Order: sequence, then C-alpha cells, then structure tokens
Amino acid sequence: MNGFLDYYNFKPVAEWIHSSLCGVMPEGLALFLEGLVVAVVIILLYAILAIALIYMERKVCAFFQCRLGPMRVGKWGLLQVFADVFKILIKEIIKLKNSDHFLYELAPYLVILASILTFSCLPWHNGMGIIDFNIGIFFVLAVSSIEVVGILLAGWSSNSKYTLIGAMRSGAMMISYELSLGMAMLAMVALSGTMSISGIVESQADGWNIFKGHIPAWIAFIVYLIAGNAEANRGPFDLAEAEQELTAGYHTEYSGMHFGFFYLAEYLNLFIVSGIAATVFLGGWMPLHIAGLDAFNQVMDYIPGVVWFFGKAFLIVFLLMWIKWTFPRLRIDQILTLEWKYLIPICLFNLLLMVVLKVYGLVF
Amino acid sequence: MDIKDRILKLQPEATFEEQGDLIAVVAPGKFRALMEALRNEGDKMDYLREIMGLDNGTELGAVYYLESTATYEQIAVKTMTPDRENPMLPSVCDLWKTAEIKEREVYDFFGIRFLNNPDMRRIFLREDWKGYPLRKDYDMNSNPLNMENEVNADEGDEFVIDSYGSVEDLKNKIFDRNDFVVNIGPQHPSTHGVLRLRTSLEGEMVKKIDPVCGYIHRGIEKMAESMTYPQTLAMTDRLDYLSANQNRHALCMCIEKACGIEIPERAKYIRTIIDELQRIDSHLLYYSCLVMDMGGLTPFFYGFRDREMVLDILEDTTGGRLIQNYYVIGGVQADLHPEFQTKVKAFIKHLRGIIHEYHEIFTGNVIARERLIKVGMLSREDAISLGTTGGTGRASGWHNDVRKHHPYGMYDQVDFKEIVYDGCDSFDRYMVRMDEIMESMNIIEQLIDRIPEGDYKVKTKPIIKLPAGTYSASVETSRGEFMAIIVSDGGKSPVRLHFRSTGLPLVHALDTVCRGNKIADLIAIGGTLDYVIPDIDR
Amino acid sequence: MNSFAKYISGMMGGIKSLLIGMRTSIRVFFRKKITEQYPENRATLYISERYRGRLVMPHDENNQHNCIACGLCQMACPNGTIKVTAGKQELEDGKTKRYLVKYEYDLGSCLFCQLCVNACPHDAIKFVNDFENAVFTRSKLLLQLNHEGSSCKK
Repeated sequence: MNGFLDYYNFKPVAEWIHSSLCGVMPEGLALFLEGLVVAVVIILLYAILAIALIYMERKVCAFFQCRLGPMRVGKWGLLQVFADVFKILIKEIIKLKNSDHFLYELAPYLVILASILTFSCLPWHNGMGIIDFNIGIFFVLAVSSIEVVGILLAGWSSNSKYTLIGAMRSGAMMISYELSLGMAMLAMVALSGTMSISGIVESQADGWNIFKGHIPAWIAFIVYLIAGNAEANRGPFDLAEAEQELTAGYHTEYSGMHFGFFYLAEYLNLFIVSGIAATVFLGGWMPLHIAGLDAFNQVMDYIPGVVWFFGKAFLIVFLLMWIKWTFPRLRIDQILTLEWKYLIPICLFNLLLMVVLKVYGLVF
Repeated sequence: MDIKDRILKLQPEATFEEQGDLIAVVAPGKFRALMEALRNEGDKMDYLREIMGLDNGTELGAVYYLESTATYEQIAVKTMTPDRENPMLPSVCDLWKTAEIKEREVYDFFGIRFLNNPDMRRIFLREDWKGYPLRKDYDMNSNPLNMENEVNADEGDEFVIDSYGSVEDLKNKIFDRNDFVVNIGPQHPSTHGVLRLRTSLEGEMVKKIDPVCGYIHRGIEKMAESMTYPQTLAMTDRLDYLSANQNRHALCMCIEKACGIEIPERAKYIRTIIDELQRIDSHLLYYSCLVMDMGGLTPFFYGFRDREMVLDILEDTTGGRLIQNYYVIGGVQADLHPEFQTKVKAFIKHLRGIIHEYHEIFTGNVIARERLIKVGMLSREDAISLGTTGGTGRASGWHNDVRKHHPYGMYDQVDFKEIVYDGCDSFDRYMVRMDEIMESMNIIEQLIDRIPEGDYKVKTKPIIKLPAGTYSASVETSRGEFMAIIVSDGGKSPVRLHFRSTGLPLVHALDTVCRGNKIADLIAIGGTLDYVIPDIDR
Repeated sequence: MNSFAKYISGMMGGIKSLLIGMRTSIRVFFRKKITEQYPENRATLYISERYRGRLVMPHDENNQHNCIACGLCQMACPNGTIKVTAGKQELEDGKTKRYLVKYEYDLGSCLFCQLCVNACPHDAIKFVNDFENAVFTRSKLLLQLNHEGSSCKK
C-alpha cells in the first residue's frame, strides 16, 4: 500500500530465514530450530518487560503518592528491580507441610503458562505476530482463562484459610468478568469482520477501530478496560490479593520464585490487557492513519510499528496504573453487581448497537 | 434532686467517700439492686464510663463510674468484698453491655468473678497465668517467662448460683467445631497493631468476632504503683500514641486536682491548642489508615504528607514526634517555640486549602460511598450501652463530647460545635472525624492569637504527694473519653492508677457492628471505629 | 421507568465521581514531591532544637562539667536508665565532698521523658537533637557521659 509500511515489514525476513534454513536441513528440523529461537526470544522479552513494568509501576505509583520511588540502586533507582529479581531468585522455595504438594507446585506454572501463551499472541510489529491464525481473539480469550485454574489451585492447595478465601473471590470475579471482556471484544470483531489478530490490525489501516466504530467502540473500550483490569487482578479489583484483608490472598503461602511467577504474571497480565486493547481498539502496530490525509499518513509511517505498539500499550498501562492508584478497592458483592447489573447489560446492548450500525453501514 | 439523696433513697445503707470523687459505697448484697435502680429509674445512668478493680489490702472490689446521657450527671459506686479466696460480685453486663469486657479485665487482674457474666475468661494475660497481678499480695516471681504457645479455649466460663446456693460453672461455647474460624491478627496489616480477632465466617460473612487482646500488654497500671507521680506521666504517651498529649492532659489534671494546683492561664491555652493539634494529627492519620484499609493507597500519603507538618510543629515545641512528654504537673515542660504561632497559622491555611482534595479523591468517590454508607450500623442505644465514646458514639447520635459537657482547659471559652451525626453507619463515623478536623482548626484559630503572657508552669514541690482519696479526670482524646483514676493513700506513689481505655469498648463493639457484614467490611469498620492497640492493652 | 432513570443517573454520578478522583490524583502526580533524601540531605536537614535525641553532659574547654553526683537524676528516672557512681573526697576543712566518678547512661532503655533534666539542680545534663543513634550491638548503647579525666566546675 505504501513504501514505509512495507519497508518495515518483517515477513520477508522471516520467509528468507525459513527458506535458507530449509536449504541446509530438513524442514522439520528448521521449524524446530525456529520455534526454539522464538521461544527463547519470547521468554526473554517477557522477563525484560516484567522488569520494565515493575519499575514503571513503582515510579508511577510513587509519583501519584507525592513520593520519588526507588532512587538508591543505580541512577534513579534503575537497577532496583534487577536487585529485587536477583533476591527473589536466591530465596528458598518453602514447602508447606500440609499442602497438596503436586498442585501447590503446579499452580504458579499454570499461571505463568497462561500468561506467556496470551503474551505470544500480541502483534508486535508488521509481520511479527508469533501465534497468529484465523481465530486469534478466541484463542486469546481461551488461554487467558487458564490463569484462573492456577489461582484456584494455588489458593486451595496451600491449605490456608486466607488463600482459600482469596482464590474463591478471584474465581468468582474472573469467571464473571470474562463474559463482558469477551463481549466487548466481540463487538470489535463484528466491526472488523475477522477474528484473526493480524486481520484486525490490518483492517485498521484506514483508521483505528476506536475512531471507526465511534460510540459503540468507545463503550466497548471502556468496558474492556474495566473488565481487563479485573482479569489482571489489579486495583480497584485486586480483592483476590487484598493485602489489607487477606494479607496476600491466594499466594500468601508462596515464597521465592514460585511467588515470583505470580508476581511476574500479574505485571505481564497488565501489559497483555493493554496490548490487546491497543491491538483491538487502537490499531496494534498500525500507525495513526486518517483517511484522506496522505501526507500525514506518510509521516506517521516513518515511525516503525513496534514503536507504535509499545507506545499504545504503555499508554494504556499508564491509564490502568492511574486508575489503580486512585481508587479504593471494591467489595466482592459490589464487583459482581458491577459486572452483572451494569457491564453485561451494557455489553449486550453495545453488541446489538454495533451490529446494527455495521449492517446499515453507519461505521466508518 | 441531689445525687446523694437519690442514692440514699434507693439504698439507705449506702455510705459516701468524699475525698476527691464522690463515691457511694454499698455492700455486695445490695449492690445489684442499686445499680438496677440507677440504670432504669428517673434520670437513667445509662452510660457506664468505667469499672475499676480495686484491692485496698484487705478487701477486693470495684468502682463503677456512671453517667447519664440526658443530664450528664456523674456518680461513682463502689462495692467491696472481704472474701479474698473466692471473691464474687454480681455482674451488671445485662444493664450495660460494656461491662462484659470490663468485668473480664477486673477478673483478669483481681480474680473477682462476676456472677452471670457469660464470658469469664482472662482478657489481657495468658489463659495459663497464675495469680492475679494487681492484687497487693501477688508474688512477682510466680510467672516466669513462658515460651510455650498459648492455646485458646473455645469455651468461656459463666459462673451462676444455682438453686441450692452453690456456684456452678456453665461452659459457654465461643466457637463451635463446625465454625470456619479465621485468625485476623495478631500480625495483620489492618488491625492497626497487634490485635487478634478470631472471626468465624460463613462464606464471606462474619458470624462472630472474638477479640483476643493483650499482645502488647505492658502492665502500665502495675508499674505505676511503684512510681512517683511525675514518673507515671511518662507512661501516658505510650498508651494511645495518637492522643499522647491528651492522655497526659488527663493525668496531669487528675494530679493537679488532687493537689489543688492551679495552673497558669498561659499553660491552659497551650494545652488546649496542643490537644487540638494532636486531634488533627490523629484524624489525619485516621483518614489515611481508613483509606488504606479500603485499598486506596494514594490518599494514604495525602494524610501523611499533611500530618508531617503537624508533627513538625509539635516537635518544635515539645521535642518529640510521637512520644512528646510535654505536659508536666503544674503546666507544660517548656514555653512555646517562638515560631509556633506563625507555623500553626500557616499550617491551618495550608490544610484548609488542601482538604478538598481529600474529599474529591475519597469522600465523593462512588466506591467509597458504596462501601461505607449503611454499612456497620451501630444504633444509639448500642453505642451508649457499649460505651463507644468519641467520634464513634457521636456518629450514632450520642452527644458525648467531654469538651462540651464537662469542659476543661479553655474549652468553656471557645465557640465550637460538637459534631454529631445520626446515620449510625461507617460513613458518618468517617464524616465526624473529617468535620472535627475543621472544628479543631476553628478552636485553634480562636485561641492562637489570644495566648496570654506569663508563666507556662507553676513551681511544684520536689516530691509530689497526693492526699488520700480517689481522684479522676477525663478528657476527650482523639478517639473518645479518656479517664485517669488515681487511688492515693497519701504517699508519693499511687495505690492504684487506672486509665479508661478508649479503644477497649470499640474493640468490644466490633462483634455487634460487624455481624452479618463481609470480611472487607470488617476491615473498613475497624478502620472507622479507630482503635489504637497500646491503649487497649495498656 | 423511574427506576431506570435512577439506574442511569446513579451510573453517571458514579462515573463522574471517579473522574473527579482521577483529576485530583493526576494533579498530585505533577506536583513537587515531598520525599526527603536522607542521608544525602544531611546538610540541609532540619531537626528541631528541642528534639530529644540523646542525653549529654556538656563539658567546657577545661574538660569540666556541672555534675556534683547528687544522684537526683538517677532517682527521677522511671526506667533505671542512669547510673551515677560517686566517690568521696576529703576536703581541707574536714568535710567530705561527693564527686562524680562515672555517669552511665543506657540509651537503649531511655524513655526521653526529660525527668532527669528537670531534676538536675545544676543543669549538668541536657538533651541534644543528635538523632543518628543507631548501632549494631546493644552494648554500644551504654554510654558514659562524663569524659575521661573530667572534673566538676567550681
């Protein structure tokens, strides 16, 4: 369509690597090696993003609270998170006497697995989506719900009352909020006409969905942010952890890297929620295009897609942090009231509205 | 009708002690009837301020301080039993609910069993404690350091007299085998200290709360018995550390009253202003902690940011931030800092300009309102019966401000509103405190430019001795009526020094207020009740 | 219908209150921070003069203090923090005079109540606002306030 978008496209590079590898080895082995490299890259990226997010959270939270945040380790406290990660790595993983050992140790891996699988679906850049097929959105919703299993198992197998209450709260909340999360996405799927993640991004080449779908898209966006926040177990929906009530909720009894997994997953889920929001509503890696203004669009295209993607995702991360550090926590019954009495009816209405608008061609 | 005549009419055999407080003395046999009459007839004495256990060397007994919430008339009733082996007194916990926990305290320290109190367990000390430490014949070596875990009984004792006239111990179940009991505390982020709440749950619902106190019990009342009066003052700041100066005010007033020391006008002004600053300090912390208990961590820092300024002002003058040791018998430790007035005025201006942010981020917030309004109801009757003084009582429509009804310091000469709400819920308890911040600033503004010149302290004798008798003084601290009671035999240290804990009735009220609410509400209600643990445990 | 209007207005009111809260918090976000960077700010740190950090016995340039070893401070202390060791000295006129041998002060058990300072008839001791008292062992909290070889002013 235009030069720079194609110039930055990663797909030809990937194809070239694949074909040259196939030249020296059987295709199966080549695929295996490629998969291995991609896995290492994704896990590295996961860890780096977690560190960036934790640092960001600490600084943003501090600034909201009239504080400076970490300042001592490294310039502006930049090395603080590395120090913390190192500390968590060398800590002992405590085994509880009366816990269900197998499930207790399985739970953090389930949580991290769900998180990494969803993470791999994000469209980083033009042609750089890792898991990308025709029902991508459906896949995202499906794998992200594995997390609730991990949380429930963690709470139950720790054999502690606090963790059990935390896990039950979390189960009730996450299963409820998946409904409105899914329906907000469904509205956007209806707008884009595809479930494939790369398809959704490409459909926004002439304008982001949030502009194309105007009113219903905005409603869906807000509902998505609320539900996504709840899915990520973050304030004001952090009642599964609720440190003032349950000390640490479902992961009270975990230590060392097992606790670290929950911690990492929490921050990455924040990024994933933001990343999906950026993909579905704000065009993923797609630069800001305004139909008709070709010169403007050209300028926007100079900025690589990966910058766009991270820019949008971090903007939403900041928005979610802003929300978290402003509001008090909701109570369990209020959270369910919000979902079932407000969000679900709004979502259903919104979906209908979106379909009607789409059918009559009233969206851009 | 004079209170003396009234008591004599109800109980002709009553005698009176008039050194210091007016105390009616009745025999244990006649005691219960007199209390019932005082509670239910005429001007009802419906507020039991305090029960103080007492051992005068030969007899054991208790002094009951009563007040009428209609006329604010006060009386103390004392009853003593000579039986040291098996002392028993009738319980009054069916007349005043607060007696349930206060009789437990007397039982813990003096071993007096109260007949018909449904829960005669120890409260501060371990259940396997030997002896009763506030008795005069207690052997200080009888309880060596015990490192074993304490096992809490699931049964409470109720002593009743059966039809044959012998004492029977009914075992009352506190928790059933099938109850899902969660320990909230002693180490818990939201109990504001080392308090343990054994909470039985039905899902998220709270079924019953059994507070377990005493984790930081320091035996301050016992220690005070071997201290001189100026030394006892060092203890008061360590009770309710957010009302340090106010607590100290009560004890100083009590001693000054007993010795007949008249403090200079300047000292009175200073004390009143410092008391109010302390109240602002405490209420700002209250705001912070309540918000944090409800999960809002950012407003927490707003409160702390501004509280820091109060502490800086107090520190300039008193030389301490938490433990200030400022008031002394006969005045105050040192004169005001030269910049005190300018700094206070600047602070008030700052706080008036910034407090709207507190309301914007929390008070008006729909989440906060949903979680506080109509949650944690405490009716006026319950508030009075449970003796929940201070903001908690005033949020239930009970006019109980000591500053207004029994003025001390300069409070009779300033114009201030007694903040009373009648919503009885958590939100009103919160609003009472927020309004009191404004009212305290109002009081300070009235006084700050009128502080008279002169001495800040009168000279007192090097060794202070109180004439024999029972003396009491009470003040309105940041969280209720705080009372210091001294029983003196004319010596240089008290025979008995007792403090009315402002927090104990609040913790006792938790069970009543929280039943049927959710765990999250329990935490929020705990935040709105505003108890401070060192003051409960003493 | 009325209840539906209530539902909508309740929702809108709620959203408005949330937005007001977010406006307040973002304002604070851009405001000056109040963190004090101790110990980097040692030079500018303000500690009230009256702050009771530690008990000291001032000595003048001749290594002389005001203490006559009367022990009033020791008696005034509620916590047994002060231990005054006095020696007896024979004067020319036959009277004996107490003089200070050792003035021990346990910072670890001090209540900072100022009763000792109040009790002192000669202003020999006072509190200073030196607050950096943290040490690694308790024994380092046992301080001797009179300097080596010091004597009492006349």
